[in-house]
Amino acid sequence: MDDSAPSQDLLLFLASTAHDMKNSISVLSGTLERLLVDASPRGEASYPQMAQMLYQTRRLNDNLMQLLALYKRVGTPEYPFDVQPIETAQLLDQVVALGQVLLDAKGIALEVDAAPDLIWHLDEDLIVGVVSHAVNNAVHYTRDRIRLSLREQDGLLEIAVEDNGAGYPQALLDAGAAGLSGVASGIDFRTNSAGLGLYFSREVARMHRHRGREGSVRLENGGALGGGCFILSLP
Amino acid sequence: MSAVLPAKAEPIDWAGKNYLVVDDFIGVRQLLRESLRSLGARNIDQAASGGEAMGLLAKIRYDVVLCDFNLGDGKNGQQVLEEARVRNLLLPSSVWMMVSAEKSVESVMGAAEHQPDAYLVKPITEGVLLTRLNRAWHRKQVFRPIDQAYADKDYLRAARLCDEQIEASKVHEVELLRMKARLMEKSGEPEKAREAYERVLAQREYQWARAGLAKIRLANGEFEQARQMFQGVIAENRYYIDAYDQLALAWQGMGKLEEACSILERAAKLSPNSVQRQRNLGQVCLKLGNVGMAEKAFRKCIAVGEYSVRRTPDAYLGLARVCGLKNEPKEALAWLQAAQREFGGSNGDLHPDIDLRAKITEGLVYHESGDYRRARKAGDELEALLGVRAERPDTATCLEMATLLFAVGVKEAPSELLCYLIRNNHDNALLLDEVQAIFDKARLTDEGGDLIRSSKKEAADLMNQGVLLWKTGKLKEAVDWMREARARLPNNQRILFNAAQVLVSHMRERGYDEALALEAHEVLAHVDRLQPGQQRFAQLMAQLAELAPKPETPAPAVDTSA
Repeated sequence: MDDSAPSQDLLLFLASTAHDMKNSISVLSGTLERLLVDASPRGEASYPQMAQMLYQTRRLNDNLMQLLALYKRVGTPEYPFDVQPIETAQLLDQVVALGQVLLDAKGIALEVDAAPDLIWHLDEDLIVGVVSHAVNNAVHYTRDRIRLSLREQDGLLEIAVEDNGAGYPQALLDAGAAGLSGVASGIDFRTNSAGLGLYFSREVARMHRHRGREGSVRLENGGALGGGCFILSLP
Repeated sequence: MSAVLPAKAEPIDWAGKNYLVVDDFIGVRQLLRESLRSLGARNIDQAASGGEAMGLLAKIRYDVVLCDFNLGDGKNGQQVLEEARVRNLLLPSSVWMMVSAEKSVESVMGAAEHQPDAYLVKPITEGVLLTRLNRAWHRKQVFRPIDQAYADKDYLRAARLCDEQIEASKVHEVELLRMKARLMEKSGEPEKAREAYERVLAQREYQWARAGLAKIRLANGEFEQARQMFQGVIAENRYYIDAYDQLALAWQGMGKLEEACSILERAAKLSPNSVQRQRNLGQVCLKLGNVGMAEKAFRKCIAVGEYSVRRTPDAYLGLARVCGLKNEPKEALAWLQAAQREFGGSNGDLHPDIDLRAKITEGLVYHESGDYRRARKAGDELEALLGVRAERPDTATCLEMATLLFAVGVKEAPSELLCYLIRNNHDNALLLDEVQAIFDKARLTDEGGDLIRSSKKEAADLMNQGVLLWKTGKLKEAVDWMREARARLPNNQRILFNAAQVLVSHMRERGYDEALALEAHEVLAHVDRLQPGQQRFAQLMAQLAELAPKPETPAPAVDTSA
């Protein structure tokens, strides 16, 4: 470590502050979920605002998780990457459970279509994080439906999150395409607020390598529901 | 919320279980309690610190423990887990979930002996918690018969059970192969361990499997090949700390202490809170004469061990050596007193030789600083300590002690110690050479040679007579003879193995006998403590298990298909 690196004390302080923030956000989002479950959509005027608060809390949490992981530079590899064989059905169980309260509160229907009995080698925490983030994004873009699907395609695990909204804006599609063709990061962080999430997802996908292939993320419009379509492929 | 989750084939009753939630942040404790309550849980205890958790764990057997890794001052979550396991405060079926704000290096580095059943990253939501709890529970079912055979030290049966379970549960295949490889290593069957690792690698490039192959090379003395493989693992994943520790051993095997030291230093930077790593670093530094770095490592070793069941007197003895080399004998003595205070007396069970080891270090410190009068005095006191006890410490300590005693001018006690070592290791050529070298250095070449020969013959005669009785079918006499041989040479592995072999033969010919079976188990447990991982140990344990009367129903393979 060279002398210009931040001192060990400062790093410890930053890490413990980040941990504190995560604790607070966990409590905040947990409490909101509980309030929403107990409240009825018609009975309380504040119901939609509470749902919006939960959505924003989730965004905060996603961003913080992504910052923490990227700060350790995912994929270089400084993040302790932890691959295990996972039943993919359980992967989707967790994504669904994470999003359920928010989706119900917002009146959004979720369809799940998963290939049965599939086992894949992946970092479960990272992949649940990426797919949940995609579902949260879809909550923003959709009209009233989201489709979560999972299948094996040409030796790759393909997880898709689709919605029936107006589709991704052109800037984001361009960023996705640029990232795929390998042009820089493809993302302008100053003009694109969704950039961090996409960047994170792509880094996580790339960490998954097997026999010369690596994971990828692509964005499309259209798909099964006619709206935005986020597709994660893992070797 | 749970309505959307697909129904499991075997729903688990989470309501009736006992839970412990450990977190220093009250908001998180309440949140976790609420999540558990929504699973139906009624019995939920809480602890705000590691100390409080230990108090509860000592009183109550919990089915599920949710424990945060960072618990503020005092023990951290990993130390609580280690102590609970070592003190046997957990049921075999207990599920331990380690909770942390982010993925930690420790969770994937692969070395920790006491792994939790799962790691959870905050925020924890009910869906994730339920999925992981169910998974850990099903996994426990799959591994229960294997863990039982493992606890019985019947490693060959445990390995067979692994093979059976691989057929039944595809999702656990990789982990079962990992377990099987470990069992084969413990059974002295490195070739079969290698096969298991290769089967894993045919599926995916798992670093622990690659490191496993390298460890087999290392154990076989192929240091250069092992070095290359460990470096390959580190290049792939610089957080796989276990590979660093092993790489340091490979360097040491090649006699390259500088390289070993620098790799341990890197590992200690990445993951500083390991008692063993800091101790190893200190000891290598000491051998290199790097007093400053040795002192730093030993001090860190004591600091990180403060709340750990793994704390070790080695760091105290090492610091005494450091002080001696810095010509500060008073400070050295203070560290030796601290070692005896911390690890002797009522804590003496784990370290019965602490008084001997402290006295050896004392003599060494005086001898190195040129105070030959005090060094001799320490030598005489050491001789007196030996005189009042029948047991002798491990081989390394005996060699160290004999070397020191000769150096300070004591003659009889070290010769006796070395004869004891030869009698108990009469077929170990390397050790014989080492002992001869110590006699040479003490200018006792011829006398030492005679002593070695007669000690060797004494052990060989004892053994041969036992073998003769056994081969001529005098099983009762053979058993008696080997019992006598064991009493005279309690740590001779060849004799111990033969004693167990004769007991097994006796039961095979003349029927199962509980007392004889117990005796054989005790003999084998002792030899496994002296040197684990021997093929003959695993084979004899399996033969013993076959002789035992069969339980009513053999455990069936568990089907965990959801």
